[in-house]
Amino acid sequence: MSQIKPARNHRNGQFSRRDVLKLGGGLLGALAGSVALPKALLKPEGVAAAAGVKSAAKASIQRPVYDEVIPNKHLAGTDGWIHLPGDPRPPYFPDNMTPDPLFNTYIFGYHDVSGVAPQDLIKFKMKAQLAAPVLILEELEPYYLKLTNLGLQLRPDLIDAHTVHFHGFRNAIPIFDGEPHSSVGVPIIRDLTYYYMPRDPGTYMYHCHFEETEHVHMGMIGPAFIRPALNKTLAPRKFVYNDESTEYNREFYLCLSEVWLEAHWADSHIQLPEWSDYKPEFYLINGRAYPDTIVGNGYRDATGEMVGPAGREDLANQPVTSLITTNEFDQVLLRVNNLGFETVTMTLAGIKMRVIARDAVQLKGRNEEDLSFMTSSITLGSGESTDVIFEAPAYQGVNGVGQPDKYLFYSRNLAPLNNAGWAGKGGQMTEVHVFPRNDSITLPDQTEPNT
Amino acid sequence: MKHFRKFIGNKRFVSVALMLAVLTGLLSSGVQPASALHGSLPPTGLVCANDSPTITLVTRTGSIILPDGNMVYMWGYSLANQPFQHPAPTLCVTEGDQVTIVLHNTDLPDPTSIIFPGQKNVLANGKPTQPQYDTGGNLLSLAEMAAPGETVTYSFVAERPGTFLYESGTEPTKQVDMGLFGALIVRPLGNPTWAYNYSDTVFKESTEFLMLLSDLDPMLHVAVEQGQPYDLSHSKPRYWLINGRAFPDTVAPNGADWLPNQPYGALAHIHPLDEVLNPDPALVRYLNVGKESFPFHPHGNHGRIIGRDGYALKGEQNADLSYQDLSYEKFTVNIGPGQTYDATFYWKDVEKWHPTEPGKQIPVTIPQLQNMVYGTFFSGSPYLGNTDLLPVGTQALNACGEYYHIAHNHALNQITSWGVVLSGHITFTRIDPPLPNDCGQ
Repeated sequence: MSQIKPARNHRNGQFSRRDVLKLGGGLLGALAGSVALPKALLKPEGVAAAAGVKSAAKASIQRPVYDEVIPNKHLAGTDGWIHLPGDPRPPYFPDNMTPDPLFNTYIFGYHDVSGVAPQDLIKFKMKAQLAAPVLILEELEPYYLKLTNLGLQLRPDLIDAHTVHFHGFRNAIPIFDGEPHSSVGVPIIRDLTYYYMPRDPGTYMYHCHFEETEHVHMGMIGPAFIRPALNKTLAPRKFVYNDESTEYNREFYLCLSEVWLEAHWADSHIQLPEWSDYKPEFYLINGRAYPDTIVGNGYRDATGEMVGPAGREDLANQPVTSLITTNEFDQVLLRVNNLGFETVTMTLAGIKMRVIARDAVQLKGRNEEDLSFMTSSITLGSGESTDVIFEAPAYQGVNGVGQPDKYLFYSRNLAPLNNAGWAGKGGQMTEVHVFPRNDSITLPDQTEPNT
Repeated sequence: MKHFRKFIGNKRFVSVALMLAVLTGLLSSGVQPASALHGSLPPTGLVCANDSPTITLVTRTGSIILPDGNMVYMWGYSLANQPFQHPAPTLCVTEGDQVTIVLHNTDLPDPTSIIFPGQKNVLANGKPTQPQYDTGGNLLSLAEMAAPGETVTYSFVAERPGTFLYESGTEPTKQVDMGLFGALIVRPLGNPTWAYNYSDTVFKESTEFLMLLSDLDPMLHVAVEQGQPYDLSHSKPRYWLINGRAFPDTVAPNGADWLPNQPYGALAHIHPLDEVLNPDPALVRYLNVGKESFPFHPHGNHGRIIGRDGYALKGEQNADLSYQDLSYEKFTVNIGPGQTYDATFYWKDVEKWHPTEPGKQIPVTIPQLQNMVYGTFFSGSPYLGNTDLLPVGTQALNACGEYYHIAHNHALNQITSWGVVLSGHITFTRIDPPLPNDCGQ
């Protein structure tokens, strides 16, 4: 694919040659007095209206044309490559189709193309990232999310559409729900802007819902959350919900997922997996397996390209760290969601957590009963989210001067702690690093999640 | 990836015809297919099979139809003189009822039994039920059995309202997979449209839905049919069923005559919440009779979990005689094996988008459909209660501009039928425009 053809402009009302032909067809139909006009001939709406067809005029009312808004986020759906740590597991891992030995696993995913000029979008084909870029919405502020489908570079035979399903969004209407049986999906080189009016703060997630078993497993998954209006009323304090008991200092999102190597290999080798044989070998947090989970953040440069953490260009497409850094006594918020297919129990060894919300709902009864609870583990089935807040324990300096204390946050399912199925390598695990207050290594206030 | 059961865009294959047939019943209001099992059933919603708390069940063998074209040999319980059905009849009784279930093991080659998880003081042939052992002390059954041709009578008082399973207690790994299970609903005395004895568990009577989730290993069924031994440690589910059907059969009406042995549909059919005209939520009763957790995710809105395993989520009584409310809202309900959850739910037209009312148009440009792929449930219009032009050749199954939202198991490897994707644990919620509407019902 050398370039993107711009989609036919619906906005300027210009007629293409093809439209004129359709106009002729529509007029002929109208002249013939046909009751059952071939509907396709009546597109576009303007043409149909010219043909004097009543129902088509209704169509133009239903799909008004607006000046393009600058979306809050512009995502591209495409394929790509990531790096997972682990010993070989032939023939599936490392994947021999990789275009670059830095990478070893084929994925589908999204890439943040916000601000990228239309003619440059195609540069981001085969640049999918895992997990997908975080969506951060503000309560009652409209959010425009544009999705462009760039196609799958390694699989030109697949003409898969993509969508964004904002998982858990309340009272969704089908057109913005991204489930293509009930509404629409975005074919290759087309786009759709989703509109959300966020009314319910909390921790959500999003994913593609087109051929979802495959597209979700292949990596079209990401975190999303809606910040409460209380943040504005009581700025600069930060809350998870419109309740002062949900205040926090530091915020980390942790997106759990799985990689069944055979399925990823099948997609890169034009094969079909048997999904009832599902048996993942890699378990990830924010698209990485430990010890990569504690490597720092990559970033998106001015041109929109992803740059890996220092010295780790192999993590360029997995830009988000899961390392939880905090000063002692800080209130630390973990927004955890699970878009793997298995139910997982995550445990935080040595620190008590308070579960304050699940599925973007603060744990409160209908009469304000406090249903939050203390625990050292949280269980998430696929498609569930959980918010926990813990207070960082006192700094003890057990690792020596200038070094943080360390705690582990990991999957107690244990099998997920292997990489590529070989024991003891890492997997769905990350670390909590606790720093002292009033010290040369004290962390500054957090400005962004996962920093 | 290309799979034959996709109905989107260019990927339309022969199954569309099947889908169309399935949905003809769904969309043709007033035409309720006669069921050989239950006569004329309402097209959607939970259907009670019994009239009285004294019930006679027989064992049957038969087969079910799965959407990949496979037929699977099954065992089942049926009401007396009724043919095989799957799952077993949904039994409804009222709190305080003396429930008597006479099980005649008429058709199975093996001894079998029924257990009633969640019921207290169950009697078998008049004595408290006990695990059964052979002379060597080996466990034979979780409850008293009926040998082939024999009868056992279970009885208990339905002490509390709720959603319960009943299932085989004999070789359950084999017999439950073979189909020996059903749902038992206990309604509050005097308040049949409450889920529990609390006024805030009220639901709209016509919108009570059953989601009985199961999994099935077809190789086990082949072995049982042929009388061959089967190593259950190698058992692997390949099908995932809701009310005994896999999608798209799940959205076919109750009693669909092309699914003669699978009478229970799973389409949830509701109208938007209206505080005045349609104030009560719908109720969905989730039951997992399978072998692992199923995280069920209905699109559109959260559900409020009001009960679990037949217990209302209520705490201690307050000074004003009200009860602490321990219910909570979820967008995914992770139902463990053998568990039941009750959730009330609704969908509300919050933004009230309208194609012509000033200021109420959807604020983004919806591309023309030749620039999109679109699904069989799409009306062509993004607005509730409106339809719009669809390109020629479209298989449109939308009747009156109603909305559809998928509701599915989010363990997405389980929304498949032995390799066929977009099947298995999927159903839909149909949201009609507010009444009066053009939907013909």
